[in-house]
Amino acid sequence: MTTNDPADGELVTMTLHGHPEAFATLVERYDRAVYHLAYRTMQNVEDARDATQEAFFKAFRSLRTFKPGAKFSTWIFAIVYHACCDRLDRRKRYSNEELPERADATPGPEQQAIDLDEARRLRIAIDQLPEKYRTVITLYHLQGRQYEEIAQVLGLPMGTVKTHLFRAKEHLRKLLANTEVTES
Amino acid sequence: MTYDSSDELDRALFALPLEEPPSELRGSILTATAYRPAPPFSAWEAIGLGVISAVTVWLLAVVAMGGAPLFFTTLGTIGRFTADGLSNMYALAWLGAGVATALWLSLFTSSQSISLLRQRFDAQRGR
Repeated sequence: MTTNDPADGELVTMTLHGHPEAFATLVERYDRAVYHLAYRTMQNVEDARDATQEAFFKAFRSLRTFKPGAKFSTWIFAIVYHACCDRLDRRKRYSNEELPERADATPGPEQQAIDLDEARRLRIAIDQLPEKYRTVITLYHLQGRQYEEIAQVLGLPMGTVKTHLFRAKEHLRKLLANTEVTES
Repeated sequence: MTYDSSDELDRALFALPLEEPPSELRGSILTATAYRPAPPFSAWEAIGLGVISAVTVWLLAVVAMGGAPLFFTTLGTIGRFTADGLSNMYALAWLGAGVATALWLSLFTSSQSISLLRQRFDAQRGR
């Protein structure tokens, strides 16, 4: 973003004053990050896509409730996080089976044959974390070290976020140290 | 790599590229939000059309029930009341004052800051 680029808050104001195309810039800025959070939470492309669409649609419809001075990223992340939680609840309610640790299809043998690079190894380790740790690590990645915003998105006290994050990192380190981190 | 230190793990996390969304995702979001076709009528236009339709139905009902003379009498009464109102200087003066005030308020309130934002937005989009 250059200095001439309107801030997120200005784009929200413009959208509310009859320039809906300003919302397109917000979509362009955040769709990838929002999808990333949805995908890491849902671990499924279809659900992540639906949750991302739902989040932007809800944000567009309730833009008047966006508080001036708040961070748009925190707001949209909170919306998509709640959309994901609703979907996960529904998935648990209507499924008789125990949810698998990873909802994605297991990769084929040709995929398994490829040597894992560090980024993929890290992604796989994140996917193996319990849901609450996975989400907090993903938000840490997206929001940087801004614990307060992570706490706002998750609706948790800041102390809990810090504890979750500490434990998530410990868990992640153990998984990465373990040679059994595979794509299975 | 075992990521023994917290900094090492942080660096690796922040270097992790974001997931690539499906190619059609942005298009479908934009179609449902920013580029959604505008409704054919605004709320006020819809209310106006509703009122006109109701009056039309009422006039047609009057014609059906009482014949053409009653219709023309009703129309004449409406016209006479309107003409009386508009020929009154006080009524016209208040109407003019109201319109002028509304125009003045629309020129000197939020529209200026919005136009500045609009210029910046257009400049950023290279339009």
